[in-house]
Amino acid sequence: MTSLPATSEPGFNYGARRFVPPSIGVLVRMKLTLLRNRMRQLVDQSPLQLLLVIAFVGTIWAGLYLLFDHIFVYIRRFEEQAIIAMPFVFHLFFFSMTILLAFSTAILMYSALFGREEPAFLLASPVPSRNVVAILYLESLFFSSWSLILLGLPLMIAIGQVQGLPWHFYPIFLTAFLGFVPIPGAIGLMAALAVALFMPRNAKRAAIWIGCIGLLAAVIWWGRLWTYSSSDASRHFVDDILGELSFLKAKLLPSSWVARAIELSIADRPMEAVFYLAATLSTAAFLSWWGHVFVAAKLLPAFGRAYAVPNRARPKNAIFSAIITRISFFYLPKKMRCLILKDVRHFLRDPLQWSQLLILFGLLSMYLFYLPRSRSDGFDLNWRSLICFLNFGAISLILSTFTSRFVFPMISLEGRQIWLVALWPLSRANVIWAKFFFALTVTAGTAIPVTLLSIRSLELPMALAAIQVGCTLAVCAGLCGLAIGLGAIMPNYDEPSASRISSGFGGTVNLIASVLLVVVSVALFAYVCYDMAVSGRLDVVTNASLIAIAGLVLANCGAFLSAMHIGMRRFQRSQF
Amino acid sequence: MAIEIENVTKCYGRLRAVDGISLRVKRGEVFAFLGANGAGKTTTIKMITGLLTPDSGTITVCGHPMADESSAAKARIAYVPDQPFLYGKLTAREFMTFVGQMYSIERKELEERVADYMNRLAITSFADQLAEGFSHGMKQRVVLAAALLHEPDVLVVDEPMVGLDPRTARSVKDLFRAWADGGRAVFMSTHTLDVAEAIADRIGIINHGRIIACGSLDELKAKAAREHRLEDIFLELTNPQDPPEQQEVAVA
Repeated sequence: MTSLPATSEPGFNYGARRFVPPSIGVLVRMKLTLLRNRMRQLVDQSPLQLLLVIAFVGTIWAGLYLLFDHIFVYIRRFEEQAIIAMPFVFHLFFFSMTILLAFSTAILMYSALFGREEPAFLLASPVPSRNVVAILYLESLFFSSWSLILLGLPLMIAIGQVQGLPWHFYPIFLTAFLGFVPIPGAIGLMAALAVALFMPRNAKRAAIWIGCIGLLAAVIWWGRLWTYSSSDASRHFVDDILGELSFLKAKLLPSSWVARAIELSIADRPMEAVFYLAATLSTAAFLSWWGHVFVAAKLLPAFGRAYAVPNRARPKNAIFSAIITRISFFYLPKKMRCLILKDVRHFLRDPLQWSQLLILFGLLSMYLFYLPRSRSDGFDLNWRSLICFLNFGAISLILSTFTSRFVFPMISLEGRQIWLVALWPLSRANVIWAKFFFALTVTAGTAIPVTLLSIRSLELPMALAAIQVGCTLAVCAGLCGLAIGLGAIMPNYDEPSASRISSGFGGTVNLIASVLLVVVSVALFAYVCYDMAVSGRLDVVTNASLIAIAGLVLANCGAFLSAMHIGMRRFQRSQF
Repeated sequence: MAIEIENVTKCYGRLRAVDGISLRVKRGEVFAFLGANGAGKTTTIKMITGLLTPDSGTITVCGHPMADESSAAKARIAYVPDQPFLYGKLTAREFMTFVGQMYSIERKELEERVADYMNRLAITSFADQLAEGFSHGMKQRVVLAAALLHEPDVLVVDEPMVGLDPRTARSVKDLFRAWADGGRAVFMSTHTLDVAEAIADRIGIINHGRIIACGSLDELKAKAAREHRLEDIFLELTNPQDPPEQQEVAVA
């Protein structure tokens, strides 16, 4: 230990050489090694999970392909309008992608630069800050463009198949896609820097507010379009919609260049398409170069602000959360309420949780709000039963997403303080019940008002309204019980991140079980709606429908009780 | 001179985290930097390592101003933070190799140094395991070994003893001493006063962003006019009831 090399002389730079900062290749190699090790570990330790992920992605891909294929075949039926409408599909797609990709890259870049320990480690080394920004930018682009690739490839194949396009369409389409991604990416990179420089304390909140306002504006605009004209697919209706969308074709929008390149490729004019492709690629290259150089130059001040400014704001909702808990859970013993109060405060102070629920159900509420306006003469019986079933399906799917992402990790998240849970003067069974009642209250408290809005929009009679409310409650209980129970059966006490817990093996199992439960519930509810539509009355429940409703309630109660029973037994036997 | 800090100030809004401090750390010395929580230790360390820029004043590392020649300055420094950072999906060997590549060490030389420091810090037994399964002490050892690979002239360590078992702690103390005896400098921030007392050549105490005492243990004792242990001197000097001005007078 004592035989250490002697010091270098002043001006020492590893012998006689002058120190040369490392190239970005060192960082790229390290990231590839990380990826290789992660894949090896997945193959060795969780092959089932890997297979499930591949199967899941494959199913989504196949589903999207079929969907796009049907859409394009459908559009082609309206020959005259299809010629005008088809290009708008691309313009709308790429414009939407510009916003979504800019937003997701901004979040990923902020998190990569200012929310992790990695940049501090790299910036303390002699790696130039340009290289640090560049590697994190590439990584963020990779992760944020997954959705585009997932959506884009089936879209490309569907168009190619339906239109019978020549070979050059495919490489042009792919190049346009990949060349386009860095344009919104660079915008996101700059946005992340701006947030760190000007609002480092409220970065998360700012992102959520901007996202909410953007979504709200988009929904209002879309709602206005939807209720714009008459109810049938007449020429006027299409003209009105296309008129509203004409700004998407503005020549200065990069999304227009990509869309134009694809349009020209479809029209078998590849040389002209290459011009737009070149415009896209050069803009992407310039913005990425300029963006990463600019961010690197401002990185240290931004880094200092984001890291060093402590958030010492006192939470403002302490009394509010206490009152809410007391009112909402009055029927539970005081000790259980104390535990629930902790979860309520955690929920209210984690914008990611409440905002996800708010955004998903908010969008659904907006649609339900606009629903009656889309048909001034009202919906006929068949449409009402169909829309009622679709609304139930949408609500159930949102609930399964929420319970998989946020309710399943609740037991695991007690994680490092699990000893505290074990020492509480509360039986372990009651700990599980407290978590369940909390989750049920949050999910039912948001799902039931949306269900009532749906009932009001469709002016459903009492019988179907009561069935829909009862079935929604059953699904809430089923999904919450499943998530809490499976969370106790397959906990991961070592992982502090909720997203990683929910994307782990246990989370995947829970997601699949939840989706299966939703499929069964929606299928049974569909039968009830179908039966009523066939009988011509929405206020009369046949015996067959009663059996279907009983089946739905039994399926959810069965899932809830069995998962909770096994989970509770497992939790009680756990050694901490 | 290994580190020269001249009249450096750093503010966070209205809070002056570091208030006009000046310090010099010579080659061949272990410098212990002490202070209560929130006194300004970590901010000072982050400025020395180039992670934060001072609002005013200059920091020079081995003759390279951090503001103008940051790459050259950073090539002479190694920084070991209080929370050791490792990529969870890299093995200890892969991580050390990566760090060596960041400092542009030749491949063959790097392999030899990795093997050498793994041996010195007892890492060999878990060298090819993924870091995500390491305990705090194991991580600390790997990070320390990686930091020493390029044989830095200045080693900056924040709370180096946390989570280490007694044997490793002893090894690390010996290593710091040997590192300084080899003509390099060690700048160590710590709350473990016994360690500072045992291996530091000089001790600096920071309070409310100002250096309120700086010197060898004997000098501090002489200034405090008491034959106390470092712990007593530290507690007396950083008494929260005394305003900062009074604390500086107490020593002066």
